[in-house]
Amino acid sequence: MDTILDVKNLIVKFDTTQGEITAVNNVSFNINKGECIGIAGESGSGKTQTFFSITGILSDNGKAAGEVNFNNLNLLELSEAELSKIRGKDIGFIFQDPMTSLTPHMKIGDQLTEVSIFHDKKSKSESIKKAKEVLDKVRLPRINNLITKYQHELSGGMRQRIMIGISLMCNPKLIIADEPTTALDVTTQKDILKIFSDLQKENITIALITHDIGVLAEVSDNIIVMNEGSIVEKGKTNKVLVEPKHDYTKHLLSCVPEWLK
Amino acid sequence: MIQLLFKRLTIAIPTLIIIIAFVFFLMRLAPGGPFTNERALPPEIEQKINQAYDLDKPIIHQFGIYLSKTLKGDLGPSYKYKDFTVNELIASGFPVSITLGLSAIILSLFLGCLLGIIAAIKKNTAIDYAVMGVSLVGICVPSFVLAPILSLIFGLYFGLLPISGWGNGNIYNLILPVVSLSLPQIAIISRMMRASTIETLNSDFIKTARSKGLPKNRIIRKHVIRASILPVIDYLAPATAGLMTGSIIIEQIFGLPGIGRYFVVGALQRDYTLVSGVMILYASLLMFLILISDILRALLDPRVKIND
Amino acid sequence: MINTDKNEKLIKKALSVKGTSLLSDAFKRLIKNKASLSGLVILSIITLLSIFGPYFLKFDFYETDWNSIYLPPDFESGHYFGTDGNGRDLLVRILYGGRLSLTIGIIATLVSVLIGVTYGTISGFFGGKLDITMMRIVEILYAMPYLIFVIILMVIFGRNIYLLFLAIGAVEWLTMARIVRGQTISIKEKEFIEASRSLGQSSSFIILKHIIPNLAGTIIVYITLMVPSVIILESFLSFLGLGVQEPLTSWGVLISEGSRDMETAWWLLIFPGLFMVLTLASLNFIGDGLRDALDPKDY
Repeated sequence: MDTILDVKNLIVKFDTTQGEITAVNNVSFNINKGECIGIAGESGSGKTQTFFSITGILSDNGKAAGEVNFNNLNLLELSEAELSKIRGKDIGFIFQDPMTSLTPHMKIGDQLTEVSIFHDKKSKSESIKKAKEVLDKVRLPRINNLITKYQHELSGGMRQRIMIGISLMCNPKLIIADEPTTALDVTTQKDILKIFSDLQKENITIALITHDIGVLAEVSDNIIVMNEGSIVEKGKTNKVLVEPKHDYTKHLLSCVPEWLK
Repeated sequence: MIQLLFKRLTIAIPTLIIIIAFVFFLMRLAPGGPFTNERALPPEIEQKINQAYDLDKPIIHQFGIYLSKTLKGDLGPSYKYKDFTVNELIASGFPVSITLGLSAIILSLFLGCLLGIIAAIKKNTAIDYAVMGVSLVGICVPSFVLAPILSLIFGLYFGLLPISGWGNGNIYNLILPVVSLSLPQIAIISRMMRASTIETLNSDFIKTARSKGLPKNRIIRKHVIRASILPVIDYLAPATAGLMTGSIIIEQIFGLPGIGRYFVVGALQRDYTLVSGVMILYASLLMFLILISDILRALLDPRVKIND
Repeated sequence: MINTDKNEKLIKKALSVKGTSLLSDAFKRLIKNKASLSGLVILSIITLLSIFGPYFLKFDFYETDWNSIYLPPDFESGHYFGTDGNGRDLLVRILYGGRLSLTIGIIATLVSVLIGVTYGTISGFFGGKLDITMMRIVEILYAMPYLIFVIILMVIFGRNIYLLFLAIGAVEWLTMARIVRGQTISIKEKEFIEASRSLGQSSSFIILKHIIPNLAGTIIVYITLMVPSVIILESFLSFLGLGVQEPLTSWGVLISEGSRDMETAWWLLIFPGLFMVLTLASLNFIGDGLRDALDPKDY
């Protein structure tokens, strides 16, 4: 299978007032084309920072070292300008809290179209066409009306679908979803996960970061378990969940209600 | 929009009436009237004067007359500048004061926002420290200290700029007054803008914008500014109030023939009509500014419905 | 799955750590902040000088000396900061002026804090129609060119120093009331207020024992930021000739006299200006430092 993202010896550190903190400590893994990989771990395990560092959206006091190969490029060596050509185009992002992830003073339509206008140099009308297409893909109703609305007029589930739509605007190869279902209610979670499995059918690679083992069991092919900045276990989802090798994975699984197993 | 205007008017008119009443009764509460300082007049003449200015009638009656005239736009005759009406005096000073005030508001808003955004983007760098240093000077050096020092340096030592007079609105005559008037506001606005921009830059939707790979200047222009400028819009009216009071002193220091001068003279000499005329003008201007900031807020923040 | 052994160890460890109160913790952080520390030092020096300095100088603030008019700063004559147009020693006048400016700053601030905190807590705590009405009043007052009211007040009731305290205090409370109201609303939603209510404690008890102590930090920060604005306000009035009267003096009076004489005697403007600017800057640094120190989430 083709590898789409290859991470070697990634280290992420933060300068804080209490000294330097290592958030990600020498992590290596790869993601295959078309798979859905789950990254599990508690909050603070470094799973989010791993993926933020890959595309250079760490906060200002963070720095990353190591090697991240994507499209035959080492992302960590690219300049901000070169990186920004990849972000949003080849790699899409979805964040945890849909309530705060959209710009409050811009119309939904503009937030979608600006991505393809910038990356694909599409005209406004082409971009609007594309926007309607992706909104249809994420199963949003009354699209013509929707693109003239502001985020505060929409529900959390709708906003998260729009976030997914934004990530799809330039037909990305990889989508990184950081706890995309955590802030949503259970039925909306189901809908969002359904969209993910649809996307996977279109051969889009998905990295799903979550602490919710139940979600991973449902959609992921492979799992990486992280704890305190290191990978403690990785492998096929069924295997990791059924016969966990590492103590920490066992501990994580013990937190899942019995019936889910 | 119409509802917003209506709502503001329902506050504005009672406020204005309260202000008129407040000034009217307060000035009459004070011992001594506008004519008591002058040499003693024969009683019949004094009576005539009082009659001419309606001072012989019961005070409530006087207030009624004054209020109804004011609401028609007639602010009455000045007590001290006997050949002029208050309307004429205000009309003569207004162009000067409004030029000074408008230039100061525009300069404060523009420079304050610009410096604040730059400082926020370059947070914790030399640029940030420099901007915040200047802003600290602006906050700690009151305009009545700054103005004499500036005119000492630029006017007397280097002879670059005139230190007093209006010069028919010549731009060189405007520079020193406008700068000394604006600096405190620039300081406050830039701090405010820096704080709110930093907050916006840390918000989730900026993370989204960055993850879209948009260039930095587009993120700032489209996503950051409109969200960060809201506190400054809310500050518009207090800033105007600050500039108004500041202009009273600045007009004195630079010898500008604006309204501020009439206010001080009027207050010191108990020129009732002049003082309350200026007060009404100031209050109306302020309320107009509040309306403008309401409209701006509604335009900038879609969460505020304009007809709410 | 709970490891009781480990938990007991943790509890023991936690108990062995000595607790620090929020205020002492904040004070430590304030001292660590260089800008705030220097502000604190400069402010203390100026305050102490203003209080005790005049006793060590050989001149009195009202003492005129026609032989030494407009003397530039000179160490030999003992006029370290020079003299004014009446031959009075500038240094001693600055120190006396400092007493007055600082006193006005503190007293007027306390007046406004008293009004503002009472108003704000009541409005925020009881909410509803009362809150709407009270805030509408604040909004209307905000729309008034309030400083101009102070000018009118001073003109009408004479230049009485106590009135000056009151007038300044009475116009500065608006901001305080707004901030306190906002804080009160967020505090009253907290669980411990709920708990207190469920114990049947009265509203006034809750306000005094739970709300106001939790507002202390905010109030302290705004006091340090309000004192400078009061000092400026007083100077502003004095500049217009509406503040304190001769032979009493304040920094505002000195600055306004100085700016009139600046072409012949620069020291009359620069020295009082310097004292005032240093004081305002120190207070601002302390205020900023306190705000950071009392807001541990920023840390």
